Amino acid sequence: MLEVKLHDIGEGMTEGEVIHYLVKIGDSVKTDQPLVEVQTDKMVAELTSPCTGIVKEICIAVGETIQVGTSLLVIEKMGVANTEQRVKVNTKQTAEQKAVSLIGQEGKLLLNPYKRVLAAPYTRKIARDNNIKIEDVPASDPSGKVTEEDVYSFLNENQQSEKSINEVYLEPSSQKNPDEIPFKGIRKKIAEKMTKSLFTIPHVTHFDEVNMTNLFKMREELKDSSESVSVPAFLIKALVISLKEFPIFNAELDEKNSRILLKKNYHIGIATNTESGLIVPVIHDVDMKSIKQINKDVKELTAKAIAGTLQPFEMKNSTFTVSNVGPLGSTGATPIINYPETALIAFHKTKKQPIINERDEIVIGHIMTLSMAFDHRVADGATAVAFTNRFASLIEQPHKLIMEMI
Amino acid sequence: MVVGEISQERDLIIIGGGPGGYSAAIRGAQLGLAVTLIEQSEMGGVCLNVGCIPSKVFTHAAAKCAETAHLQELGIGSSTDIFDFKKLLSYKAKVINQLRTGVESLCNANKIEIIRGKATFLGVDRIGVENGHQFDIFEFEQVIIATGSSPIMPPALKRKGKRTLLPYELFMLEEMPEHLIVRGQDYIALEAASSFAALGTKVSIVIDEKISFPFDESINKELNRLFKKRKVSVHKENEFISTSETEDEITITFKTGKHVENSIQGTHLVVSGTSTPNLDSLGINRFGIEQTSEGFIKVGENMQSSIPSIYAIGDVTEGPMLAVKAIKQGKTAVASIAGEKVAMSLTFYPVIAHTIPPAVSVGLTEENARDFGLDVRISQFALGGNGYATITGKKDGFIKVISNSATEIIEGLHMIGEGAIEMAGSFVQLLEMAAKEEDIKFPLYAHPGFNEGLLEAIEGLIGQAIHAIPVKNNSLL
Repeated sequence: MLEVKLHDIGEGMTEGEVIHYLVKIGDSVKTDQPLVEVQTDKMVAELTSPCTGIVKEICIAVGETIQVGTSLLVIEKMGVANTEQRVKVNTKQTAEQKAVSLIGQEGKLLLNPYKRVLAAPYTRKIARDNNIKIEDVPASDPSGKVTEEDVYSFLNENQQSEKSINEVYLEPSSQKNPDEIPFKGIRKKIAEKMTKSLFTIPHVTHFDEVNMTNLFKMREELKDSSESVSVPAFLIKALVISLKEFPIFNAELDEKNSRILLKKNYHIGIATNTESGLIVPVIHDVDMKSIKQINKDVKELTAKAIAGTLQPFEMKNSTFTVSNVGPLGSTGATPIINYPETALIAFHKTKKQPIINERDEIVIGHIMTLSMAFDHRVADGATAVAFTNRFASLIEQPHKLIMEMI
Repeated sequence: MVVGEISQERDLIIIGGGPGGYSAAIRGAQLGLAVTLIEQSEMGGVCLNVGCIPSKVFTHAAAKCAETAHLQELGIGSSTDIFDFKKLLSYKAKVINQLRTGVESLCNANKIEIIRGKATFLGVDRIGVENGHQFDIFEFEQVIIATGSSPIMPPALKRKGKRTLLPYELFMLEEMPEHLIVRGQDYIALEAASSFAALGTKVSIVIDEKISFPFDESINKELNRLFKKRKVSVHKENEFISTSETEDEITITFKTGKHVENSIQGTHLVVSGTSTPNLDSLGINRFGIEQTSEGFIKVGENMQSSIPSIYAIGDVTEGPMLAVKAIKQGKTAVASIAGEKVAMSLTFYPVIAHTIPPAVSVGLTEENARDFGLDVRISQFALGGNGYATITGKKDGFIKVISNSATEIIEGLHMIGEGAIEMAGSFVQLLEMAAKEEDIKFPLYAHPGFNEGLLEAIEGLIGQAIHAIPVKNNSLL
């Protein structure tokens, strides 16, 4: 028997909700066949079968939220029947042989197959009277048998952690207890990634302005001919055109092997603000996509990110990341690069501003500011400025984009 | 029937005075609850009046009968002693009366209000009790349904005359049956067959080919061997065909496993099998109580049903229809009502039969262990090696231990042999304590006694039983 457990599919998930089983008890399954869909705080993940066999048990009902490590299904591996036949013939011998592999591999379930409570009735009563589930108490004995001491130390730990919080915040007595937000899941993962990036990459950020007036005009014209495309699609297209000319920003520093990898794929991450935190869905192969297609992808992925229905592959392998904070406001930032990428651009709010045109007249223009952070180990300031200049020229004279159509 | 306008108020009402109901009532009183118990017939229910208790009078008498030869060996009695069935019947009546009076006086001493009559739900907080022309209405805070179950005759065997009996009717016969045919394989069937054979009746058993006796397979095998030894014929039924009854005889016809038609002729046929919960006349289903597809009331671990004011215990709930379950559930329900935190588990309920000798299985059987793919060590100690078994002439049987190879935690304990029912207490305790092999090996065992068999069975796990021949090529040594 093999248990299929909910494991960390990535992004620091700690729990998930069972959405749908793709198999039922008695079904034959092959290795890597999808078994169940689980909704985590940011995506829907499919768990696949680790072996070929038969689904023996479905442990968790649809709709239940479970912690990482919880068993979802039990699969009987093909060929196990034979081993059991041997047990019948020579119980003692095979019992010993199997015992070894059993402890090493699968642990608890096989040790305790009929969900027997491995604790004396009095031990269970202590747990019950203290409103804890005996099943939650970790056993100090390798057999899984929970003792009175285990229950008391479990209780003490919980009480102590409660106590220490109270002690710290209760004195001086005038202070009010703060609200607590659990630091876990997506929040914790963001923290880890940001720390790693900032402590690894020497960040440089430079700011620039881009005149959006012509782009807006073109967009209006397109709208009149019923082609409605939002601004980010143009920005992303222009960005990828610029990246092709400045491949150093679509790169990854491989310090271990003393090399910089200039990537041939242009997968653009779109930093997206969701209720649970920052999520970065990825538009793959942007260089091969039309502005229209990019527009469609941005919309779809943003919606999925907000709904929490992104598939794992939709969040992987970005080579460059864009943070479009314009709709929220702001004029500048020092963004942190999405490690191990080399650079990141944040687009800020576009404002109407007086600008001086070629005829030295003061006219009203639409100006967007941008902040570009890059890895100073990989590139230098001049290159970065050249890069954003190129990007700005594509946006300021959007008809140039046509020249780059494939 | 006069419908009273005024309803009387009560705290806790228990419907049914069987072992579950009266245990709940007494425990409730001990916990300070005001308890009202409604019983439509006799206190003690099926168990005391027509079930466990009368049948045990028979198994007890049978066990004594079976000792005759051994008693003579000891110089007691003679082969001319005769068994007086009428005397046994009056002894049975005496025992039942004594126990029933005991229950009633305990209820009185605990200030439990006993109301005679038939209860019907009028709402989720109201009940009507009918007794002849009287009809009283009671409002309650909580009610515990403990109305038990009734055995049902399979439709195919629908009764033709007085020779086809349900188990409780067997123990009400006025005369010893001459040739008893027992159909079934549960503990009731086993006890009936074993006792009547020992009392001198010719016995044939017809068992369903697909279902074995309810114990570990080793015990089931031993039971078969003992039946054979006592000239009780065991037949396997693959397909029931018919029964036909005359003035003095009954014939059962069925197909055997080999699809051969077989007929057995006897004087009585007793049919053991299924029972149905006594719920129809209660009218509780009208109030939307959650029931299983078989009609049992669904309850949580504190015996509360889907209707918060209504609890249910015993045979009206799912699981084995045994007094042991009802008693525990009854205590659990009132403890919960009294505000205690409760738990209820049937994982280690003892499966027993007062056969000759008696048998018990607690926990995992060898077959279960195989089904779970569990690595176990198994040891079986034959009582032939036990000194006290030799003294008392009770050498049949064995004690079997199933232990988890990886953890040394005991998974199952089984016994057939003298004293098995009392040993069952130790078995259940050890399993509930999640005892390891050492926990059984370390203590001292009264000598001489059957209890030493448990120690030797444990020691046998590593080939160290003192009174057993060493196993050759023991892979563990």
